[in-house]
Amino acid sequence: MTFKKIGAVLLLAVLNISALIAQEKIIRDDLGFPYDATVPPQRIISLAPNITEILFALDLGGKVVGVTRYCDFPEDAANKEKIGGMIDPNPEKIIALNPDLIIGFRGNPLRIFERLRNLDLPVFVLDTGTTLDSIFPLIKKIGTVTHEEHKAELFVQSLRARYEKILSSLQNARHEPKVFLSLHGVGLWTCGQESFLNDLIKKARGVNIAGHVPRKWLLYNQEQLIHENPEVIVILSKSKKDFLLAKNWMKNESHLEGTQAVASDSIFFLDENLASRQGPRLIQALEELSRLLHPQCFVEGL
Amino acid sequence: MKARSKRLILLAVLLFLFVSGFLLSLLEGPVETNVGDLFDFLFHNLHDETLRKIFIDLRLSRALLAFLVGASLSLSGAILQGYFQNPMAGPFVVGVSSGASFGAVLCIYLGLNLRFLGFSLQSVFAFASGFAIVFLVYLLSQKKGIFKMETLLLTGIAAGALASALTSFLIFFKSESYQEAVFWLLGSFRYSDWNQITAMLPYFLLCFIVAQWLAKDMNLLVQGDDIAQSLGSPVNRVRKTFLVVSTLLAASSVSVSGIIGFIGLVVPHWVRILIGPDHRHLFFFSSLTGGIFLVYSDFIARTLLSPSELPIGIITAAVGAPFFIYLLSQRR
Repeated sequence: MTFKKIGAVLLLAVLNISALIAQEKIIRDDLGFPYDATVPPQRIISLAPNITEILFALDLGGKVVGVTRYCDFPEDAANKEKIGGMIDPNPEKIIALNPDLIIGFRGNPLRIFERLRNLDLPVFVLDTGTTLDSIFPLIKKIGTVTHEEHKAELFVQSLRARYEKILSSLQNARHEPKVFLSLHGVGLWTCGQESFLNDLIKKARGVNIAGHVPRKWLLYNQEQLIHENPEVIVILSKSKKDFLLAKNWMKNESHLEGTQAVASDSIFFLDENLASRQGPRLIQALEELSRLLHPQCFVEGL
Repeated sequence: MKARSKRLILLAVLLFLFVSGFLLSLLEGPVETNVGDLFDFLFHNLHDETLRKIFIDLRLSRALLAFLVGASLSLSGAILQGYFQNPMAGPFVVGVSSGASFGAVLCIYLGLNLRFLGFSLQSVFAFASGFAIVFLVYLLSQKKGIFKMETLLLTGIAAGALASALTSFLIFFKSESYQEAVFWLLGSFRYSDWNQITAMLPYFLLCFIVAQWLAKDMNLLVQGDDIAQSLGSPVNRVRKTFLVVSTLLAASSVSVSGIIGFIGLVVPHWVRILIGPDHRHLFFFSSLTGGIFLVYSDFIARTLLSPSELPIGIITAAVGAPFFIYLLSQRR
């Protein structure tokens, strides 16, 4: 009995202490600035489409009061109040929405954060790495700052399970094809070593032709591309229509007709909205790209 | 009409436009406010946080900064047009803008976002490199102590082209900073705050007073250096002072707002067409007109596609050019 009592008292004490600690919850964002997350935020503004997607995935859509004009997924996000774009969010609009949490991403200009902080607005900036796995800590951090740690944890687990499954399906891939990933369709803009799309190609067991160039985005040299002779060309496009335009350009006007990709018609569509945002749908992009590069690994019933 | 009454009429019109421009800027924005809100804020509710931020920290600071920059650029243009006796001259002719934008884009490229004595490092970089390039151009255009204006103009253009090339290279090399750089290269007041006003105001006042002080000498310079010299004007000293003053004005403007084209070239011409070429009045009226013109331009830039913003350089050229052509055609 006494042991139980002592145990109960101790437990209470521990709970009390943790309650005291929980009274003040200061979190530092990825730029090192403190954010007071003691109370769960009720009015959230997202400054980037990938952040919006994560907030909605954590069932926080009801608390989101403002998004950028690029936030179009899920559908409900498109109906939220627009605060401008990623580069030009409007401070006045933001103030008027009276937010208690503004989540920024590294694509926003640094001066915007400074401007908002000077106006005493509660900014929290996220900047995780440039690998595919970095979306997991990103989701967890958003979970922490919004007091939805548990939901975030479950969501990460399910995403990670899908991710691992794709990776294990790819284990039997023998040949890694040389991939040229076209960013804007027409023209030879592609992604270099420092871009997360490079990691996407790598994880899908492809070899990014521009993967050795230590930059994020670059315009690739046509002659060099013909010399490298890609086996697959993947075109990021907003719609099938844009894709067909770009594909036509690749086939008829880019002088790439001698390359394996064009000769064997291995020119594929990848939805830009899936692949270009560092959000949960990146896993779907990984799956789609993996299926394009290694269809034999995804034969049903295998 | 007598010159004096012409000036008085212009002054009255400008004062009216000045007041209405500021009122318009204070009342209009993505958040709906009316005159009642403004009065309520001013006389009853001065401590309302949200209204204070919107009226004072965002709208008023922005309009004031636009006025200061417009006045600075126009004054700088008026000075340089007299200095070179060339109607094509503007505040950016000696390479200030190209130098300053190189500094700013370098800062964006390096991802630097520190503050220096309360100012954004980007502004400090821009100011320093804008000033440095003019100094360099000045040194390069001297040969054995002999100084030719034509050489100064051409060296300025060449150095500007070189700096622009470097800027374009940086933007191209790191294409993700492209959009941010565009706002810099076409000008914008979206980062305006009170710090920038306190930084600019002393420069502007100092430069304005010096320019006004030397306006008589400018009137002589326009007749040719020899004549000015024989009439007792210390030509060399006056020229150096004007060059420093116009550079200070342009560099400080660019460092807070980016490159706002056209205004510095065209406003002095407007004023000259309206009240004549006497620099004693030209400097004052150019400053006032330029300031007001930019307050209205910024108003359009931030409200036309609200809540998104346009770079202001688009507005100054789109609104200013037709009006300029109209005035020119009237003069013929």
